[in-house]
Amino acid sequence: MDVFGSFALLLAFGCAVYAFVGGIAAIITRHPLLVKSTRQAGMATCGLIFLGTFCLEYLFFTDNFSIAYVVSHSNRDLSTFYKVAALWSGMEGSLLFWSFLLAVYVLSVLITYRNKNGELMPYVGVVMAGVQIFFLTLNNFVESPFKALAASGATDYFTRADGNGLNPLLQYPEMVIHPPNLYSGYTGFTIPFAFALGALLARYPGEKWIHLTRKWTMIAWMFQSLGILLGAHWAYAVLGWGGYWGWDPVENASLLPWLTGTAFLHSVMMQEKRGMMKVWNVWLVFCTFLLCILGTFLTRSGVVSSVHAFAQSNTSSWFVGFIVITLLVCFGAYLKNRDYLKSENQLDSVISRESSFLFNNLLFLVACIAVLSGTLFPVFSEWFTGDRISVGAPFFNKVNIPIGLLILFLTGVGPLLAWRKTSTESLARNFGRPLLIGLVAGGVAFAFGFRAFYSLMSLILCVFVAATILLEFYRGAKVIRARAGASLPACAIDLTMRNTRRYGGYIIHMGMVFVFIGLAGAAFNRDVQKAMQVGQTMEIGPYTLMLQEVETKPERNYTAQRMLVEVLRDNKPMMMLFPEKRNFITNKENGTMVAIYSTLKEDLYVVFAGIDPETQMPVIHAFLNPLVKWIWFGGVVVVFGTLVALLPNRRSVLVLAGAPQPVQPLPQAVTSSVALREGHD
Amino acid sequence: MTKARPLIAATILVGFATLPLLLVPAGALQLSDRTRQMGMKIKCMCGSCDMTAAGCSHPGGAFSGPCGTAMAMLKEVDQHIAKGEPDDQILQAFVQQYGTRVYAEPPKSGFSLVAWVMPSVYLVLGTLVVIFVISRWVKRPTPESGSGSAAARTISPELLARAKAEAARETEE
Repeated sequence: MDVFGSFALLLAFGCAVYAFVGGIAAIITRHPLLVKSTRQAGMATCGLIFLGTFCLEYLFFTDNFSIAYVVSHSNRDLSTFYKVAALWSGMEGSLLFWSFLLAVYVLSVLITYRNKNGELMPYVGVVMAGVQIFFLTLNNFVESPFKALAASGATDYFTRADGNGLNPLLQYPEMVIHPPNLYSGYTGFTIPFAFALGALLARYPGEKWIHLTRKWTMIAWMFQSLGILLGAHWAYAVLGWGGYWGWDPVENASLLPWLTGTAFLHSVMMQEKRGMMKVWNVWLVFCTFLLCILGTFLTRSGVVSSVHAFAQSNTSSWFVGFIVITLLVCFGAYLKNRDYLKSENQLDSVISRESSFLFNNLLFLVACIAVLSGTLFPVFSEWFTGDRISVGAPFFNKVNIPIGLLILFLTGVGPLLAWRKTSTESLARNFGRPLLIGLVAGGVAFAFGFRAFYSLMSLILCVFVAATILLEFYRGAKVIRARAGASLPACAIDLTMRNTRRYGGYIIHMGMVFVFIGLAGAAFNRDVQKAMQVGQTMEIGPYTLMLQEVETKPERNYTAQRMLVEVLRDNKPMMMLFPEKRNFITNKENGTMVAIYSTLKEDLYVVFAGIDPETQMPVIHAFLNPLVKWIWFGGVVVVFGTLVALLPNRRSVLVLAGAPQPVQPLPQAVTSSVALREGHD
Repeated sequence: MTKARPLIAATILVGFATLPLLLVPAGALQLSDRTRQMGMKIKCMCGSCDMTAAGCSHPGGAFSGPCGTAMAMLKEVDQHIAKGEPDDQILQAFVQQYGTRVYAEPPKSGFSLVAWVMPSVYLVLGTLVVIFVISRWVKRPTPESGSGSAAARTISPELLARAKAEAARETEE
């Protein structure tokens, strides 16, 4: 099966090269058969990558310990669930997984547009094939996952009785879903990149490439968001440090394309509505894709030290080469066809939705550059001074919290501004009430002792943004209710379904408000660590923790030392918590299973830290983390909002069903639509 | 009833606003002791966890707590504090011992100042660029167009064409 998989990947490489070279020939000759054959070669590439990936999974499931990658990342007692995750737990497999997910996207694009956009698709196909060639080169010639096990320097191959097992930190349910989500985000941004570059090379007229890629961009963005949040939750639940975001270089790497991708999702509206920022949008897509590649490179190169850098190798030069080539191609295409990106740049007023989008983009970009430069600062400082100066979480918090709050402020202000021009009267009318509510909330908070500056500001802005969003829903639903007479919630749903993009966007904003509420709670975290004997208690906040027992429990793949901790509140028993310390049998490594009692108010987070080396007593490390649950809830709302925004508008469906011909009185309808949207959308 | 509606809405929103406050215990902010504060300024130098000395949980280690290295560093901080040394002096003692890698955040002096200054520079420069771009984009008002809201509502042929295309696209979907 390893030979079969290896051959499938080699064949996939050949097909990708044909799709790339043949695609260029097809663009030049415009021969329909060549266009068709290169498209089919693209599809075959994807099919062969699927085959190669399934072969590697098969080797994991059948415990084939003649393959070096399987030996390094699995063992016989590893559950089937984690054998799936073992695929992306090391360098070689994770790169193959990149190719696999990219193939899913590429195949979807090739099938979706097989009979559409004939002028553009050959260019898109060539770009996608180019990216696939790079990853298939790594899969075949640099980091093959199908290498047979051999003694160092020897040519004799052998089979091991058992493998080394999977890294304990990865043996957690979220690790089975976090990387696929994050990688789906990384790989997904290849599609808007391919369309942007393809459209630029083809000088494809209008903004059609943006309309074609909107859904792909949103899907990639949703997966990236979900991946980041799941990663944060994994760090929270497994690493046992009481936090969820440590500004680790690998975490930062996942945030960078998310920031530029978010900026793009906003600025793209400027191009759609007003034909503005065409150059900016193209470069935002290019940068987002390049940051995805940079993120993949940082995770694997060892350039920056990271607790997450699970797979390091000598692929650095390949990634740097690919980034440089891509950058050169992007620059070349831009310089050659920049006149095609001429914008219709005109504003009626400084106070307009367009201006707010510009500032929104500025802040996202500044946040991105600040995170990137902070992440790479240790490298720069070593180059310039010879000393490697560390940049840790305190720096990133100080720099990014103010930027985050400004973005939150714009999240509230943006929807209040109309396209083209906003009068001061309407601004005061729309701005006044939410701002007042926010300030009242801030005053109440201050009176309650909420004195941490950033948390207080975050709270005021969260309330302000929530108020603007709810008022938008309320106003729209009220108009529908006046006509239809249904209940307000039903009208709000109807309103959302009539313009899913706009109201889905508002739901996403609301999700971000929840996330910010959760982040604001971090200022009030506290923790206590104590070595305890059975029967002893410790206090944290309103809770009393009593150690009832420490038991040793042998499991299939590890031995667990489990604490039985009784939680009391006001001297009344509330529940039992079972934090664990796990020792994995094959690789002798340790893992932590944190016990969390989570409410909207706070998380009681209990870690069995281990046995105190000095006193030989078990140690409990308990944290009281306020509002953390709001972050995960906010994440769910963000995903829900994205799914809503991806739905077609209800009205459009009705038009399709009821009217086979295009609507006749279009100018009037359009005029009224434009008038209506002046203050919204 | 109509007049009461905004009041009800405002009450709900203020309720939403104060919900997190009611959930967070008043006066929950507890300033940590000085050792802990200093421990957050220096990194654990065990070489594998990349966390601060006070925040070290040493993932994967036998003890999830400050690891041996972090514990020793925190004890050393305690000793410096006992001698009555100021924070800067304590930090310098660790820099002499471990080098600049021990900083949890770059010092605000020398080359490290670049790290602190650059985000503000990006923001200021970016803001200037945005203001410049907006000022170039803003249409100069002509006498016939006026400056009232009626002018703003006028639909240009380009905007009409764009809106037509959008309507057609939405119908396509």
